[in-house]
Amino acid sequence: MIGRVLPVPRRLDLVILTSALALAVLGILFVSSTTSGGRFDGLATRQAIWVLVGLGGLVAAVLFDYRVLLKFSFVIYCVSLVPLVYLLFFGERIANVKSWIRIGGFQFQPAELAKIATALLLAYLFENEDDGKMKGATFVKVGVIVAVPFLLVFLQPDAGLAATFLPLAAIALFFGGLPGRAWVAIVVAVALLAGIGWFVLADYQKQRIGTFLNPESDVLGSGYQVRQSKIAVGSGGFTGKGFRSGTQSQLRFLPVQHTDFIFAVIAEEWGFLGVCLVLALFAVLLLRALTLARVARDRGGVFLILAIASMLFFSVVVNASMMIGLLPTTGIPLPLISYGGSSVATSFLGIGLILAVECRRFANA
Amino acid sequence: MLKVRENRRDLSVRIEVARMAVGAVFALLAFAYWYVQIVRGDYYFELSENNRIRSVKLTAPRGYVLDRNGAVLVENEPAYSLQLYRRESKDVNASVDFAVRLLGLPLDPIRARLERGRRFPEFVPIPIAENLSLEEVAAIEARAPEHPEFAITISQRRLYKRGGSAAHVLGYLAEATPDQIRTSGNVHTLGDWIGQKGIESSYEKLLGGANGERRVIVDSHAREIAEESRTESRPGQSLFLTLDRDLQKLAEELFADKVGSAVALDPRTGEILALVSSPSYDPNWFTRRVTPEEWASLLADPDHPLQNRAIQNTYSPGSVFKIFLAYGALARGWVDPDARVFCPGHATFYGRTFRCHRSGGHGWVNLRNAIKVSCDVYFYNLGRRLGVDRIAEIARAFGFGEPTGLDLAHEKPGLVPSEEWARTKRGARWYPSETISVSIGQGPLLMTPLQVGRAVSALVTGGKLPTPHLFLASQDPKTGVRLRYRGELRQSLAIDAHSLAIVKSGMWAVVNEPGGTAFGSRLPGVDLGGKTGTVQVARRDAVPRPGVDRSRLEDHAWFTAFAPIDDPKIVVVVFVEHGGHGGSAAAPIARRLLAKYFGVDVAPRPGEPGFVRASTKTSSTPSPAAEVPE
Repeated sequence: MIGRVLPVPRRLDLVILTSALALAVLGILFVSSTTSGGRFDGLATRQAIWVLVGLGGLVAAVLFDYRVLLKFSFVIYCVSLVPLVYLLFFGERIANVKSWIRIGGFQFQPAELAKIATALLLAYLFENEDDGKMKGATFVKVGVIVAVPFLLVFLQPDAGLAATFLPLAAIALFFGGLPGRAWVAIVVAVALLAGIGWFVLADYQKQRIGTFLNPESDVLGSGYQVRQSKIAVGSGGFTGKGFRSGTQSQLRFLPVQHTDFIFAVIAEEWGFLGVCLVLALFAVLLLRALTLARVARDRGGVFLILAIASMLFFSVVVNASMMIGLLPTTGIPLPLISYGGSSVATSFLGIGLILAVECRRFANA
Repeated sequence: MLKVRENRRDLSVRIEVARMAVGAVFALLAFAYWYVQIVRGDYYFELSENNRIRSVKLTAPRGYVLDRNGAVLVENEPAYSLQLYRRESKDVNASVDFAVRLLGLPLDPIRARLERGRRFPEFVPIPIAENLSLEEVAAIEARAPEHPEFAITISQRRLYKRGGSAAHVLGYLAEATPDQIRTSGNVHTLGDWIGQKGIESSYEKLLGGANGERRVIVDSHAREIAEESRTESRPGQSLFLTLDRDLQKLAEELFADKVGSAVALDPRTGEILALVSSPSYDPNWFTRRVTPEEWASLLADPDHPLQNRAIQNTYSPGSVFKIFLAYGALARGWVDPDARVFCPGHATFYGRTFRCHRSGGHGWVNLRNAIKVSCDVYFYNLGRRLGVDRIAEIARAFGFGEPTGLDLAHEKPGLVPSEEWARTKRGARWYPSETISVSIGQGPLLMTPLQVGRAVSALVTGGKLPTPHLFLASQDPKTGVRLRYRGELRQSLAIDAHSLAIVKSGMWAVVNEPGGTAFGSRLPGVDLGGKTGTVQVARRDAVPRPGVDRSRLEDHAWFTAFAPIDDPKIVVVVFVEHGGHGGSAAAPIARRLLAKYFGVDVAPRPGEPGFVRASTKTSSTPSPAAEVPE
């Protein structure tokens, strides 16, 4: 395996690497903008360390042959589910949910790693599937593979984080060639489930959805977050109020501004220009990833890239929509930018896997 | 390997679709942000400014009110109030119980305040009690370590000196009502204390000044981060009133046990030197907590202490009206002053007998003597000759039937009857016999004591109607710049020196010649003239309804005086409800006021404030009551 290291650096895709690094740097910058001088002082340094850890993971992923990972993907998948089960029984509640594992001074969300493991297993599943029509057995397998971690996280209960598993299923079914009739059936089933889900959801989750539908109803309650974030974004205007000069963020009207709402801070301080910069970087990264997927050497590689890209895309779109009230507040961070070790490290790991697939395009199996 | 690539055509197509979808979604996101940031940017910027900036009102210190000599009538004193910071309280109910027990307050109003406070974020303090005494402040301060949730704030409270002297002139403050806020064009805001009555209300703009504003930058916990801008308040102007504090005080003392009103004014300018309405109230009640008992007693009092009798009550003028009728008729040449009328004690007009107040009759009287003895028969004849419309013309020339324009609100216009009034307003035609009543100031004719004072001023100055006013000057407390009142006099009657001399001579005789109706109230050293009036309230043989005090059937007593005769500087009007005869009940009060004004020492008579029995041995002045019945 080490012998395959040597040709690698020449083939590293610089477009993806550069845009990912640029986004990470923006993240560190704005984490420092929102946290300096307060009780969160020093978080920017931590974030930088996490970026370095993530880069380490990226390098490792590139060096390691992803085909080996695919081969052992079922084992990896099972192992990644263990901490999720553990959390359900012994987890410590932090901010209403049991989704964190504390190791030393650091907290880690095992669900983030489970996402990568799920992506690997799905890619492995489609490695040997034919392109034409999806077999019924494959459909069931996709369902089970995604449903298990989804439910484990949903029960934490962290519906937002659980939802990030859903694009994996959607992408697998779409690219796996699910026939049109089946899509209709799925839509109907989801609608039914949503109806039932309403009775299962925790009160605060229902409240958030209610707030999403009518944000002005409860200005000081959960609508407060959406309202303040819209004010932050809107008041940024075209060029923004200037770095570290956002009144909404610096005076702490924005909730959890260094994590979930960091994009609102960028929008306030750098304005529409900053928003376009971030969106453009993500768009370049994702479009490039899709291009690479097209030319990947094997089906496993294609589906691995697609799965990882879909999760990134989903998180970016949901997070950016949350800021301006297009979607309910769900607690999904902005990949690479929001403060949070698990999220940053996992994102880099995923990007490492994309690069790994790309750089082995012409290698011999 | 090749097989794999060939089979991937469908996949490639799907990836192309995905690329387009990704591009489209990002374009949509960018569009959404463009809408929020560029199209709606200004709106959200304003909201973010509102978030960031909190406006704190800087209440302007209200102007003092002083008398014409600079004696303070109204000033401000510090007032302490108790605020509850819910965020600092472990148990809000326990905190409230503590305050209720410590201050002995009723619980329910505080519960209501808490309920109202729920609408505001937790960091907004809730006012629990206002106007704490220094002892209460000390008690709370002593418990501060255990109760950090309570804070004492200091503000300015209005203080009416001497327990509310001149209450009806000064008025009082109260919190602005929603209506008042709307009509002020939002100059006033919720919680502002503004003038509700009296000059506090008339000169609200001058006294109130302009509130300032601090704009402070706050964080999401409303903690003050910095001050963005500061507009200092503009303190209210000091207001000098035309009142003379000492004269006012004496008038109030003289009315201590009486119901009625008195006005003293300068006939040349209309400056009000004293204005009393009795009974009165203490305006300090309104700035402290008005207790339910105090409020109930104010409302239940049959004498209506809140009413300003000098301008809001209208009465028949009685014989006081004779001087206006006399001068008006003289100046217009409608009467020969030397023509004499025989008074047998009664006269018959239109088949009805009208009595003179002196049943034995006055014999032959000319105009001057008719004023002096207040002969009813003389004026019956004069009134009958003139007719009601000419009488009305004279009355209106003296300013009756219209508000005087005093700088206090809610002044009554009174009533001047005429044939047209009877036809259009009353709806019953005018009977000639009513003219006979009106010619001695009875009947439908109604006027306020202040209107009488203004009319006498016009009379004694030769026909110039002044506008009575309380505003003398205002002074900016910072710059010291003074504004003075500049009034206009309205020439409403022809100046006729001859007519004036005759009427003044008659009024001089009223007080200074034996047989005058107020001879007992002459004042050595002061050349004064006057006229009494006694208004019959009930028929002589009337019996009061059960439960009504006999005194309620007593006549109303009027007296008006001016001095000196040749160059009048002061006019006094005294009205005592159910006081009895004008010469005995009202004239002595006017006499005391004039004595005070001219600095003449007079000993208080029996029944007057300051009267000491031991000192009466030297006083031989008999009570005027029995001397000259009118």
